[in-house]
Amino acid sequence: MLLYACLLTFISFVAAILFFNREVLYTAHERSEYLYGSPFFHTLLSKPFGLMQYVGGWLTQFFYVPAVGGSILAAIWALIFFVGMKAFRLQGSAVALMILPVACLLTSIVDLGYWIYIFTVRGYWFSQSVAYLLMLLLLWVARSTTSRDWHFVWYLIGICLYPVLGWFSLLFVLCLALSDKISWRELLAIVFVFFTAHICRTLLYSNLKIDDVVMAGLPKFENPSDKSDYLSAPFWILGVVSILISLFGRHLAKRFVPIVSAILGILFTVLFMYSDRNYIDEMRMVRSAEKDNWKEVIDIVSENPNPTVSMIMLKNIALMNEGGLLDRSFKMNNIDFNICNPDSLHVSFLEIAAPVAYYHYGMLNEAIRLNFENAIQAGFSPIYLKMLSRCALATGDAKLLQRYTNLLHHHPFYRHWNPLMPTHAVSELRNAFPDELTGVENSDSYIVNSISMWNKSESKVASEQALFYSMIRRDSRRFWASLRNFVNLHQGEQFPVHAQEAYIMYTDKAPEAKRMMLPVEQSVLDRYKSFWTSLESCARNGLKPDQIEEEMRPSFGDTYWYYNIFGKRRY
Amino acid sequence: MITMKRYIISRLHFWAFSLLILSSCVHHPDVPSSSTEVKSLPAIFPDYCDVTVPSNIAPLNFMLPANEYSECVARITTPDGKQQTYGSGVKVQFPESDWHDMLDVSKGSSIKVELWGKKKDQWLSFTPFEFRIAEQPIDEYVSYRLIEPSYVAWTFMEIAQRNVTSFEETQIFNNEITSNDRQKGQCVNCHSYQNYKTDNMLFHVRLSNSGTIIVNDGKISKVNLKRDYTISSGVYPSWHPTEKLVAFSTDITRQAFHTAHPNKIEVYDEASDVILYDVEKDSVSVVSNDPDLLEVYPSWSPDGKYLYYCKTVPLPEELRHLDIRSFYSKLQYNLYRRSFDLTSHQFGDEELVYDAASEDKSATLPRVSPDGRYLLFARGQYGCFHIRHSDGDVACMPLEGDDRSERDMTNLNSEGFADSYPTWSSNGHWIMCSSRRGDSNFSRIYISYFNNGKVEKAFMLPQEDPDHNAYRLKCYNRPEFMVEPVKHTVEEFSRVFDK
Repeated sequence: MLLYACLLTFISFVAAILFFNREVLYTAHERSEYLYGSPFFHTLLSKPFGLMQYVGGWLTQFFYVPAVGGSILAAIWALIFFVGMKAFRLQGSAVALMILPVACLLTSIVDLGYWIYIFTVRGYWFSQSVAYLLMLLLLWVARSTTSRDWHFVWYLIGICLYPVLGWFSLLFVLCLALSDKISWRELLAIVFVFFTAHICRTLLYSNLKIDDVVMAGLPKFENPSDKSDYLSAPFWILGVVSILISLFGRHLAKRFVPIVSAILGILFTVLFMYSDRNYIDEMRMVRSAEKDNWKEVIDIVSENPNPTVSMIMLKNIALMNEGGLLDRSFKMNNIDFNICNPDSLHVSFLEIAAPVAYYHYGMLNEAIRLNFENAIQAGFSPIYLKMLSRCALATGDAKLLQRYTNLLHHHPFYRHWNPLMPTHAVSELRNAFPDELTGVENSDSYIVNSISMWNKSESKVASEQALFYSMIRRDSRRFWASLRNFVNLHQGEQFPVHAQEAYIMYTDKAPEAKRMMLPVEQSVLDRYKSFWTSLESCARNGLKPDQIEEEMRPSFGDTYWYYNIFGKRRY
Repeated sequence: MITMKRYIISRLHFWAFSLLILSSCVHHPDVPSSSTEVKSLPAIFPDYCDVTVPSNIAPLNFMLPANEYSECVARITTPDGKQQTYGSGVKVQFPESDWHDMLDVSKGSSIKVELWGKKKDQWLSFTPFEFRIAEQPIDEYVSYRLIEPSYVAWTFMEIAQRNVTSFEETQIFNNEITSNDRQKGQCVNCHSYQNYKTDNMLFHVRLSNSGTIIVNDGKISKVNLKRDYTISSGVYPSWHPTEKLVAFSTDITRQAFHTAHPNKIEVYDEASDVILYDVEKDSVSVVSNDPDLLEVYPSWSPDGKYLYYCKTVPLPEELRHLDIRSFYSKLQYNLYRRSFDLTSHQFGDEELVYDAASEDKSATLPRVSPDGRYLLFARGQYGCFHIRHSDGDVACMPLEGDDRSERDMTNLNSEGFADSYPTWSSNGHWIMCSSRRGDSNFSRIYISYFNNGKVEKAFMLPQEDPDHNAYRLKCYNRPEFMVEPVKHTVEEFSRVFDK
């Protein structure tokens, strides 16, 4: 009874964790490369564990519907539980020990955090679970079909399966060797485990670096600028737990085992799981922005008090498309908060949302470039293929569009996918700026700086963006040039509130010699005076800058002045 | 032994893949009993309609558009009157042995192809076309670098060799095996062979663990070509056809990005010269280093008596001190050559071979035909990197005879897409170039038959699965012919990095 209660608790926990991470699973499918056709298959198969990665990549496509992908994953874990029980010959309460390997695999799915945007392990989401299941099946078959005297045949099979199962084949040999009394054959097999990778490299993988062959399949989290060891921990623990179950599993049919296993499994996952609201909201916003669902983008950011730079950028694109950028943007906060990143990863707006942002600002060459830069490193996953398709459609490259959509149409959930037509804004903005040669402009501020210079454009949309981003830059010179152009192109239209706020502020603090005289609402003027009075009062009372910022937020957090004074990011 | 191992691995992969997708069955379908005649050539991919191909080329597998057709049947008729049908789904894939038998009986003649396509449950029959089989074979191997059409970032890249009489592709070198600095990364490029053979060859490794890998009479070594008096180490190479000498350009190369222009990328040199490297003596001498002008892309004539290269024309005084990005579109290259004395290793005076600038053009990448009669080169409106310019084309001019007018290269070039990096096969009957005509982004290899100054319609390097060209998201850089494969393995090359 206790066993079943513990199992039920753990199953509920797994279901809850997968549900809570549904947006992560959707993002996993979007950021996971699986390409139809022989080139991708051959590329993966030229490396050990490649077949598992291929299978993993294929299955990851099902995360398009997180409930479907999650169910497949849960079904694999259920099989792992069942097959593991048989393979390790666990009986009674000891079967609960299989909670621990499942917990390790569950943790490996939910602990990635911002690595999800940059890690390069193909098929990661399923390959470890599938390979572990195959390893347990082998173990079950080996232990149930042959006597111990014939296990050496299975040791050889295990070693020969290294190109397919990678480190799991070594784990199989160790688990089999340690499951019974050790003889010279078992010792020989254990010694062989240490040389398997080297033998395989000599025979099959001589064009690979030895580091890429040793412990093949064990996910390594490293790219040119980042490295993480703790993300590999669940896999090391999985290996150790499997060996310990082999050694002691049959002696642990005790009453306390189910409770301890369930608690340990749950604690381990909870401790390692990456949980952050902005992390999820960014994913939701990117997903909505891809579908041009701007209302949802605005809804998500409206409910978030501490948005990141990616969220702010997407919000401003949404307002450009929905209208009211210069009346609403600062009311919805333009002061960004840093992403919560325990690894200090080099992940930023560029990896999270910049390709979408470049596209919607009509900067198609930059969008194409950044999509390529990201895809070359992290794989041509659906998010990049979709974005490249949209760019190809916008630039009229029909053959290129066909290449990308053809690849996407082999995805089970993108069979009938076609890119949305470019919006009016994209079509207008892509012709709003002259061609220039630029260097490698890979910084968060590139968009802000570039757009703030569109102050000679004859496009109404571009003039609004140039004015807005000159305000974001707090650049009085560009502000005046942009404002002049904006006013010329928007004659007879209402003077937006935030533009009024900026106009008053720059007239006061950074006036031009030849002043523009524009009508300003009295209420805005009064509020501006009140803003400075309040600010001076706070300063006189000896409050520190952070305290002043907090003090003034309720009254003036919706104004441009508040952003101008308290916004910390400099472009 | 090594070749055998490669072969076994590639076969294992092949069979695993074949089993997985169940697509390798040879199928001889029946010709449709009734069909509607379409009075046009079929829109097959790759376009092999009425192409002239070598007598030893790999099967010209092709397909009908999968979004329009559901099935196809091709009936092949060889000059000896034999017929056979092929087709599975929308693809026509010939078994290699059948194909080479067909080529053997068709040398100097044609193979007739009748094609039927099933569209919305109705069979259509297209105008028949031919594969014309030239008497002359093609060099058995080509090599190229496979890399994504990248901007700044890259990860994996490889120099690969392909047996063009079959579909076997193997790695010559890759950039991961010796990369020892993840942040720097490693780039491999510019493979070059002496006289189409591989006992004397080279390629570069840049950034981490950098150097030029030279194979000298089959012995591999890594050298550093940078000297105090050169602006960089060797960049674009050309082996002398008989001597152990390699002409290189030395370049300070930069890359910049268009914010709106469809060409997207500009690659240009801020400085460049031409040097000569003596492989035996490990010595470097300067061939041409005009401080105000840019010299690049040296290329030996097949007799080794001339070194061809490109050089910019002088810029107006007012532009000379500006940032090169402000006048990159004014940089134009002419083709020059210098005679070379094989005994003294001395160069003669510079001769202008082709004044491209006078036509408001820029000419690069000269290649003289093996018989010395023709000069191939790439040409565009400006600059030195025409593979990134949509107006880049391949041009051919005679070097001797009364008729010095340019040859018509329309059959090789594409309209509105970059065609560049031309090269000759060792018998001078096949011209190969790299072209972005497929979709303006991913370059592929195209080959044309050349005979007495006439060029036939270009065909794409055939692949076992015609879809391979659509699914491989890599570019084919710097295609070079070879009469034999590179005999060293990736691992053997990697060992010189440990020394």
